[in-house]
Amino acid sequence: MSVATPYHDQDAIFSFWPRHNETLLKRLESKDAWLSTERGLDVSRIEDALEHEMTLNIGPQHPATHGVLRCVVKLDGERIEKCVLDIGYLHRGIEKLAESKTYQEFMPYTDRMDYLSPYANNVAWCMAVEKIANVEVPERAQWIRMIMCELARISSHMLWLGVGLMDAGAVSVFLWTFQGREDLYNIFDEVSGARFTVSHSRIGGLASDLSPKAIEMIQDFAIRYEGIIQGWQKLLNRNRIWIDRNKDIGVISADEAIQLGLTGPNLRGSGVAYDIRTFEPYLKYEEVDFTIPLREEGDCLARYHIRVEEMLESIKIINQCLEQMPEGPIRTDDAKKAYPSKDEVYYSMEGMIHDFMYTETGVAPPKGVASYHAIESPKGELGFYLESDGTGCPWRARLNAPSFTNLQGLESMMEGHPVADIVVLIGSIDPVMGEADR
Amino acid sequence: MDSATGYLTTTVDAVVNWARSNSLMPMPMGLACCAIEMMAFGGPKYDVGRFGSEAMRFSPRQADLMIVAGWCSYKMAHAIRRVWDQMADPKWCIAMGACASSGGMHRCYGVVQGIDNFMPVDVYIPGCPPRPEAVIHALMDIQEKIRNEYSVTNDYSSGSPHAELAQPESARLTADGRDLSLNGSGLVHA
Amino acid sequence: MPESLKFHFTPVDEAHADEKNVHEKASTDVADTIDILKKEFPDGISDVVVYAGEYTVFVTRDSLVEICTALKETLGFSYLVDLAGVDRFTEDAPRYEVYYCFVNIHAKKRIRLKVSLDEDDPVLPSITRLFKAADWNERECYDMLGIQFEGHPDLRRMYMPEDFEFHPQRKEFPLLGIPGSLPLPPRTPEGGLTMDPFAAARQGSPVKSYQEPESEF
Repeated sequence: MSVATPYHDQDAIFSFWPRHNETLLKRLESKDAWLSTERGLDVSRIEDALEHEMTLNIGPQHPATHGVLRCVVKLDGERIEKCVLDIGYLHRGIEKLAESKTYQEFMPYTDRMDYLSPYANNVAWCMAVEKIANVEVPERAQWIRMIMCELARISSHMLWLGVGLMDAGAVSVFLWTFQGREDLYNIFDEVSGARFTVSHSRIGGLASDLSPKAIEMIQDFAIRYEGIIQGWQKLLNRNRIWIDRNKDIGVISADEAIQLGLTGPNLRGSGVAYDIRTFEPYLKYEEVDFTIPLREEGDCLARYHIRVEEMLESIKIINQCLEQMPEGPIRTDDAKKAYPSKDEVYYSMEGMIHDFMYTETGVAPPKGVASYHAIESPKGELGFYLESDGTGCPWRARLNAPSFTNLQGLESMMEGHPVADIVVLIGSIDPVMGEADR
Repeated sequence: MDSATGYLTTTVDAVVNWARSNSLMPMPMGLACCAIEMMAFGGPKYDVGRFGSEAMRFSPRQADLMIVAGWCSYKMAHAIRRVWDQMADPKWCIAMGACASSGGMHRCYGVVQGIDNFMPVDVYIPGCPPRPEAVIHALMDIQEKIRNEYSVTNDYSSGSPHAELAQPESARLTADGRDLSLNGSGLVHA
Repeated sequence: MPESLKFHFTPVDEAHADEKNVHEKASTDVADTIDILKKEFPDGISDVVVYAGEYTVFVTRDSLVEICTALKETLGFSYLVDLAGVDRFTEDAPRYEVYYCFVNIHAKKRIRLKVSLDEDDPVLPSITRLFKAADWNERECYDMLGIQFEGHPDLRRMYMPEDFEFHPQRKEFPLLGIPGSLPLPPRTPEGGLTMDPFAAARQGSPVKSYQEPESEF
């Protein structure tokens, strides 16, 4: 099979996306020229380009890029002059895929967006669909969703901490945080049957209730890990090496952060109190008592403090949820809007028909409407914009990915820092490429 | 083994294969969700150090086992292939998870429908994502494969000992699928 | 042309304006902001649609930058949350839509603007001068739908390589892609690029490295 395409001579040896690389380099050069004139730099330094100038390509396969991020940086000695990021190495088009799936069918894809905290993505998708289709969710399901979202937040921040420290040179913390993640995996395993791609949330509720053993495990986790996380704080908060690597690195002021559109802990690290949990409370966040950590410095250390404090706040929320959680149904009892319970499916004809119908078409929002719903995922504002054409598949499903918006700020954050800080900066932004690349 | 004289007879192949199979150095090509399970595979609970593969090498020149974990986009395929070409022989490859093996649930324009479209794969792991136990199983399969190889007596990496091997496959293979060029060399072609 | 058979897979519900949505948020109630905008730009706003308590303001292309400036500088909507395009894929109305989602952090409000674009002329003024956050989003919109943003400093593709020449989010683009538009690496050391996305199924497996012919050196 041969389809003639421009730029690809079948017989010529293929270099890595020739036209793509060309435009990338052109962008780097044009940015460099603009910056030189803007900063009033001496043009004569270009003459001794071989002395200290260098273009360095980091990624897409590099252990410190947390996936497949590619940075092309222009170095002056050891200082980063200019940086151009290139993403899309994990692009598969889930927005396009969503258009050919029913709302419930799309659930497993949300697991694989931000794969450090899949439960938060499930809930974000469910709530977006519930908003556009106007589905009510029972009380108990909301509380369970909240617990699991906060567990997902802890698991995401744990991996960030372990990998971030490994980038800075400390391997042992990775082993500790991964032990924590294994404990969380056990909880998810007990709740849903999968270690982290849970797909446990359903439109209109949940797939199954928490078993008594799962509740016991969550309680146990909350008790044990409060002390363990405080132990990590004791290790790192006054650790000279950790502070030296992070203090005053990648400073972003509050105005800049808003301009660049940062979200989540990166935005709060710059002193902007924007958290969807208080901005437009969803689930039951209005009924629990928690604070949102806020720092003014805007550097990597501030972002570290915020994430670790968020883990402790999450444990606080989980404890309150376990206390306040009422008994009751876990899925709404409307066969047009949610799956019927398994008892109905197995023992009644209508139940089985409803089950078939729901799998076949599922929930169908009114024709021509659109809505946007966001939740505070561990990375920041995770929103889904849905447009419906009246059938069981979305006409347009748009994912507003926090990693994508955060990565945007990375280019300007890197400029002016030594090359060794790249890994720390990428770590502190905490991107997940599966989500950023959609 | 004779305890009085204290020596041991074996074939060079057996020694080389024993050493190779118990010190596989993986090159983690962590692309997506499976990479997280691959971390768990190297992490404290599943501890792949028991199998001699805990030393993850991020430089392809120091590794001999590539684990492709996660879906591979067309844009990334060329990078994977380049890293694979940089690895020194002998080398093995595990396609971890449904996406790397066959495209999996991502049947869409951006994802290569299986990495075997552009590079050879030794072991495929099903699952989305596979549990770390499955990855350990795949590693043991690779070890098994290495132990059954003729590493020195038929070292093809420094040129083929059989001129016939340079012939196209259609000329070498008989109608029932046996490889004529391998006859007499002791290789059993399954 | 013969009249096409009208067929719906499911009975289609029309939106009921009076139905109360249980997920309505206080933050999306921006009626007073829209009143101000309507007073200031009587020609700029063509329509306002409300669903689930969310206001969608349809603005014309010519007044988009002015309205964004007003939102940012006088009304406090200084945070751009999202920007994306929609392919409506109809013949009778403008084909593309681009929506902008702004947030006023201090007043806790959220507003959505929408611009309609014709198929023949998918060009929009860029708002990167006002909101730096629009940079990557506009690039993504260009990559996925082929909408041009005038005045964008760096309108490259966001996800797909530059060597790709289609816009995959458009409805006419097949989900499985177009064979041959994205080449795979060669299957033999000396071979050409693989243009067939299912080469493994049709051409056997790639050669192992020890099968390569003897070196000439």
